[in-house]
Amino acid sequence: MKKRLKTVEAIKGWSLSGMYLVYTAIFWGYPFVWLIILALSKWNFLTPRKFIWFDNFIKLFQDELFWRVFINTFNFMLYFIPIVIGFSLLFALGLKRVRLFRTFFILAFLVANVSSGVSYSIIFQKLFAVNGPLNDLTRALFGVTIPWFSSPQLATLSIAIMVTWKFIGYYGLIFFSGLQAIPQSLYEAAELDGAGKWTKFFKITVPLLNPSIVMVLVLSLTLTFGIFTEPFLITGGGPMRTTYTFQMLIYSTAFQKINPGYASSLAIVVALLSYGCVLLTRKLVEREVELA
Amino acid sequence: MKKFWQISLYVFLFVASILWIYPYIWMVLASFKPANEIYGQFLPSRLTLEHYRFILQAADQMDRPFMLALGNSLLISVAVTLGVLVTSALVGFALSRLYFKGRNMIFNFIIFQMIFPGFMFIVPLYVLIKNLGLIDTRTAVILPSLVSAWGVFMFTQSFRAVPGEYLEAAKMDGANDLWIIARVLVPLTSSTASIVGLFTFIGIWDNFMWPLIIVSDYSKMPLSVLLASFNMQYGSYLGPVLAGSVLQTMPMVVIFLIFRKYFLQGISMSLK
Repeated sequence: MKKRLKTVEAIKGWSLSGMYLVYTAIFWGYPFVWLIILALSKWNFLTPRKFIWFDNFIKLFQDELFWRVFINTFNFMLYFIPIVIGFSLLFALGLKRVRLFRTFFILAFLVANVSSGVSYSIIFQKLFAVNGPLNDLTRALFGVTIPWFSSPQLATLSIAIMVTWKFIGYYGLIFFSGLQAIPQSLYEAAELDGAGKWTKFFKITVPLLNPSIVMVLVLSLTLTFGIFTEPFLITGGGPMRTTYTFQMLIYSTAFQKINPGYASSLAIVVALLSYGCVLLTRKLVEREVELA
Repeated sequence: MKKFWQISLYVFLFVASILWIYPYIWMVLASFKPANEIYGQFLPSRLTLEHYRFILQAADQMDRPFMLALGNSLLISVAVTLGVLVTSALVGFALSRLYFKGRNMIFNFIIFQMIFPGFMFIVPLYVLIKNLGLIDTRTAVILPSLVSAWGVFMFTQSFRAVPGEYLEAAKMDGANDLWIIARVLVPLTSSTASIVGLFTFIGIWDNFMWPLIIVSDYSKMPLSVLLASFNMQYGSYLGPVLAGSVLQTMPMVVIFLIFRKYFLQGISMSLK
């Protein structure tokens, strides 16, 4: 009797998980295999596919556009990561010191995080336009017009500012819950020893916040490799291809230049690059933190 | 002195909050302003619905059916959210509450799956959808997102935490598995269901690259893609473009405000 019940349970278990496995085989396993086959092939979606082994990868590393986008990506990080980490940390520190209206502040910053990618790209495109409100302001105050999206370095910075706008609420909350986990007694003990504000910040807050810092770094790194909507809609990759991203390159290679093989090898390289950055960051930044 | 700093901190945070909501305020106000006041004037001299009338009526003749796109977006998002919730609950139940050989292997495989970023699959998925003959259909947008490894993971984890006595009691009363899932497990873990539902809905509503690739027929586009194409071609119609942006982003904001409690929980959950 008990054995029979067990068999029934196993059949139920397997049929439910089987559903998942069949779906996954079709929509995950099959594309996975095709990704590898395509990366090793030359094809245009129509005529018969040809195996060319690692030619796609070899060509990729000699491709000027690939290196252009590679530089763009790190150029973007150079702006984005310090800005987003600095401001999220400031936001979290401010949040910790207020009692009233805390939920209001959190919601005000988080609502940016749920804005639709297409909509907020459009809004910032109009806000930062040459004749837009922001330039009206700078003209009135300083008499200058800033070409936010049409000068190469500025365009990269503008997109970094937009993405920062979207993610400070989220990253700030990560820092905030990290701060909440630091015991107040540590600060009190340090004060007894005569530690000043900055000593406390650099000797207690920063080291103990390490897990949150690593998390935000990892999130913002992976985000950087996934950017598509903002430059696609606002700059189209310009000016002079300085805001061209890896995702745009994958998209245009596969569906405009009709070269899915090359695009697949690119997708694999980008994923590996993104992992490489994450692993490197963890290795350099991550520390064992023990909170008693 | 301390009081002075405290007050300046409040002032600073209030100013920053307003600054952060400002793009929304500007967008909503601009969508109700007469066209010539959108740039140059913050407060409108009068409110008008002309931009909304334009995108809901005139845009149809320009081959940009906004109402249809809004319907498509709703259909796609609701279908995917329901699909993810139902399949995640069923598979999560199997992986947490039924004992069978290979269960842990499947669970580990699901975690393994989550390592791979979605963009790796876009090109081969396109090939699959093409082979299935589904290019230019709403099904092609729905199908690849209908089951989520993350959703199954979340449900499995929270079902595991439900004490066994509840299930035993329900079984004594003769409840079958479906009843147990729907009436015992899901209500006891309602925050997980809300989080998975919320993030899935927002994610699919905002999805841009995949429908951009797979749908080129204007009558089948979700709002995100239709709005982008309208902005690219008719970007100078500032009012209608902004009215369209309001349509696209406001459902997400409203849902966020309604479910904000779960959203915050979801964020703190993802930290563990």
